[in-house]
Amino acid sequence: MLLRRLLAASCLILLAACSGSKDPAAPAAAGGTDSPAAIDNTAEVQAYYAAHPDFFVVKTPADLPADLAWTDAGDLPEIGSPDRVRGGTWNERIQDFPPTLRIVGPDSNNGFRNYLLDDYTLRFGHLHPDVAGPHRHFPALAEAWAVDAPNRTVYVRLDPKARWSDGPPVTTDDVFFMFWLYQSSYIQAPWYNNWYGIGENYVRVTRYDERTFAVTIKEARPDMLARVLELSPAPRHFYREVGPDFPTRYNWRFVPTTGPYVLTPAEQQRTLTNRNSITFERQSDWWANDKRQFRYRFNPAQLRLRVIRETPTAWEAFLAGELEAFGMNLAEYHYDRLPDTDPRVTRGLIHKSTFFNDIPRPNYGLWMNTARPLLADREIRLGIQYALNWQLVIKQFFRDGYSRLNTPSDGFGDMSHPTLRARPFDLALAGEHFAKAGFRRRGPDGILVNDAGARLSLTLNNGYEVLTPVLVILQQEARKAGLDLQIETLDSSASWKKVQEKNHDLAFAAFNVGVEPFPRYWENYHSKNAYDQAFLADGVTPNPERKLKVQTNNLQTIAIPALDALITRYDRSESLDEMRGLARQIEEILYEDASFSPGFVRPFYRVATWRWVRFPENFNVRFSTDPFEQNLHWLDEPARPETLAARRDESKSFPPSVRSYEQWKAKE
Amino acid sequence: MPLRLDPITRKKLRRFRSLRRGYWSFLVLAGLVVFACVAELFVSQRALVVRHEGRWFFPTYGGILPGRTFGLDYDWETDYRDLRTRLGADPAAAARGDFVLLPFVPYGPIENCYPDQFFKPRAPDLARRHFLGTDTQNRDILARLVYGFRHALIFAAWFVAGVYGLGVLLGCAMGYYGGVFDLLVQRVIEIWSNIPFLYLVIIVAALVKPGLGWLVAINVAFGWMHLTYYMRTETYKEKARDYAAAARVLGAGDARIILRHILPNTAATLVTFIPFTVAGAIGSLTALDFLGFGLPVPTPSWGELLSQGTKNLTLAPWIVLSAFSAMTLVLILVTFVGEAVREAFDPKKFTLYR
Repeated sequence: MLLRRLLAASCLILLAACSGSKDPAAPAAAGGTDSPAAIDNTAEVQAYYAAHPDFFVVKTPADLPADLAWTDAGDLPEIGSPDRVRGGTWNERIQDFPPTLRIVGPDSNNGFRNYLLDDYTLRFGHLHPDVAGPHRHFPALAEAWAVDAPNRTVYVRLDPKARWSDGPPVTTDDVFFMFWLYQSSYIQAPWYNNWYGIGENYVRVTRYDERTFAVTIKEARPDMLARVLELSPAPRHFYREVGPDFPTRYNWRFVPTTGPYVLTPAEQQRTLTNRNSITFERQSDWWANDKRQFRYRFNPAQLRLRVIRETPTAWEAFLAGELEAFGMNLAEYHYDRLPDTDPRVTRGLIHKSTFFNDIPRPNYGLWMNTARPLLADREIRLGIQYALNWQLVIKQFFRDGYSRLNTPSDGFGDMSHPTLRARPFDLALAGEHFAKAGFRRRGPDGILVNDAGARLSLTLNNGYEVLTPVLVILQQEARKAGLDLQIETLDSSASWKKVQEKNHDLAFAAFNVGVEPFPRYWENYHSKNAYDQAFLADGVTPNPERKLKVQTNNLQTIAIPALDALITRYDRSESLDEMRGLARQIEEILYEDASFSPGFVRPFYRVATWRWVRFPENFNVRFSTDPFEQNLHWLDEPARPETLAARRDESKSFPPSVRSYEQWKAKE
Repeated sequence: MPLRLDPITRKKLRRFRSLRRGYWSFLVLAGLVVFACVAELFVSQRALVVRHEGRWFFPTYGGILPGRTFGLDYDWETDYRDLRTRLGADPAAAARGDFVLLPFVPYGPIENCYPDQFFKPRAPDLARRHFLGTDTQNRDILARLVYGFRHALIFAAWFVAGVYGLGVLLGCAMGYYGGVFDLLVQRVIEIWSNIPFLYLVIIVAALVKPGLGWLVAINVAFGWMHLTYYMRTETYKEKARDYAAAARVLGAGDARIILRHILPNTAATLVTFIPFTVAGAIGSLTALDFLGFGLPVPTPSWGELLSQGTKNLTLAPWIVLSAFSAMTLVLILVTFVGEAVREAFDPKKFTLYR
């Protein structure tokens, strides 16, 4: 059997290899040289624009509406510290050398994308990371913008100084081209094709002149401004050769950036043979050097990323002073490996900082698949809720540092439900609910059995190897309630696949949420994502022949007509107040359904940094997920040699710094 | 059939006994195996004997006894250490003659021994009877070692059975039938040996929950090949001997010739390989557990302990020391036994033909 599968797999590989070499669409790649023949897609791009005249619209500046209220949000407080010093080398660890330098397409959605795109390039406007509220973007590539809400259109004027790192200015050509690129099938990125697709989220892009454009979106949701301003244009001049061989042709080309750090050709040459590290250089004449909101950030002159595969090795490198910082979120590191009493901390060589941030929380917890026979019974789900000892997990594994998650959408400010609290560990209540479901007797192993002799045993799917002890605690405590949980730890992608195929009883998982103004519900809770045809024609009666819908995020296979109606209203709503009310109703229905057991949240991040790393007075910004995301830190290079020398000289010490920044800590 | 040992076998056993190092290793190892079989009597969270209100309980084996059995207010398994403290503190109980007799190490392998404290490895503590300390999840290391050893033995037993079953069967058939069949199976073996075993384990471990059965199956699937070659040559050799020809002339079938005549004469080869196969099995289970592709959590295993130990080399050296010493000890014992068996069964000393 195994052999047959293997044979089948190898046949597939062979077939793929054959088709690859005979594919007429890829003559350039088959040439066998390093630089495939140059092609120019200008005609193709222009033809595409012409073929979609309703989406790509060209007008003149005279066509701009006269009454637009242009703004540049100049009154928002500036982030970063004027005390900062530019220069120095920032050493950081990456786990693997990146498989590609592309920012889109196969293999590009990995951790390295952060350096090429997320934290280091400029979009038209950014969400202010320190100010709450719906209107809090500040300009980056844009100079100003104007919102025409009734027509669902955002007008943007580009900053005349905005330049790509290889020279040309950023123009509206690059905006048009961004849509062409991300709609193109050449990039092999279905998510992009879908999100940027014509009529999906965006219905029109209009060019007025070199610097002025407008984007019209499908629905005037409260986050309409973010959907336009947070786009980043694509450098038209760089992507001239995009064609069917895009993934290979562009695999090792560094995309010109609007951000400060670039890969020099010399560095790219070096990394062809040496893949132990990769270094980004800061452009000394970066166009946004003196721009408000950017002039105090991105301070190090070099960003050196070292490949260190094992975390213990990275830890040793940090202690040796070869890395500037080390994340201390795990209790073991914070309390045991480098406690506050460690001489390196008390002598002020290493600083420890804890920062309480205020962001939407990843919702770690157990997701119960209500399509499973046992879990279809709400009494059993309620019993499980009371049988899970998350408090003990928080106490023992996280050493009381974490707190309990209460709803699947915590951390959205006043959009989160203010009063719902997760159910506590309560064996008496668990027993009561299990008894109501027919599980009254205990078997010889202490697990509950019902009258038909079935054991109360469920599989618990897990994809996080480091968090396995969490599940062992839950398992051992649940035994007290007579509930047997079989932990199934798989490789993270295999585990996720299993959950996406809805082959789980309970799944331990979390959805990571970006900093967004309000939670999303449709993906996780709409019946469309649970079954193909959830209800009969009357819209209420469950369809007896319904089939599970796989590859969706509705992990609980929730299908409740009232919930569907609320979600639809929520998704169409154009008013935050109405959405807030709807969100609360949705959360209450979810609470009553009891198919998600909220786990834990880490309300802070912790970091240890060498003494020469400096941060602004308040350490960091309110909506940040890690200390370096906004690049507010700087290096005090003169302090580096003296600190390193003091490592071995016990007579030397500096003022210690062990600080907790609690200005954004939630008040209980 | 009564056990009758032929004179040559008796001679071999005598020779084995005379090899002191191997013989003593065998005795120690046998002792460890017996100990692992009855480990509950020495290492367990369950009490050996409880006398409660005039009734006797022997909780070691069988189903759980809920706390209510002993007048406690819960339905899950009794915490016998707690029960002992309670009975000790209660003069009425003492007057009744109630007592709890706990095993020498009163902890189970997956039990969290410090339920009210942080997860943190704790150094050996004789007063609390954590003779080897606790691991990163507050579990007693000695208990995990002992039960991990038991799992390793069970694994090794199944592995040896599987490998010998397949290897002997195919090897004999190859040697006995020869010709096209032999050629064909040889080629299959050559191809099969070139499949990277570890990758396959990683793939399988990613797709299914790797229980003991799965692990044995995968390991056997990639472990049977080397034995076939030895069996094949032995069978080739034995088949050509006069006694095999005589049996055939007398009308014995293939099965009878192979099983009754050829197989017993190749036993020396088979026996000498057993200890090394066992060592290999324990080693590979530990390696797989170490890499995280082994038995499902929270099953006690040496590989898991070693992996914890290497991650906490400076913080908790007792973890890696315990696991490493245990593993070294057992593998050395097995190897000593193996060497002695090989020497005792050396055909050059006993055979009449060579």
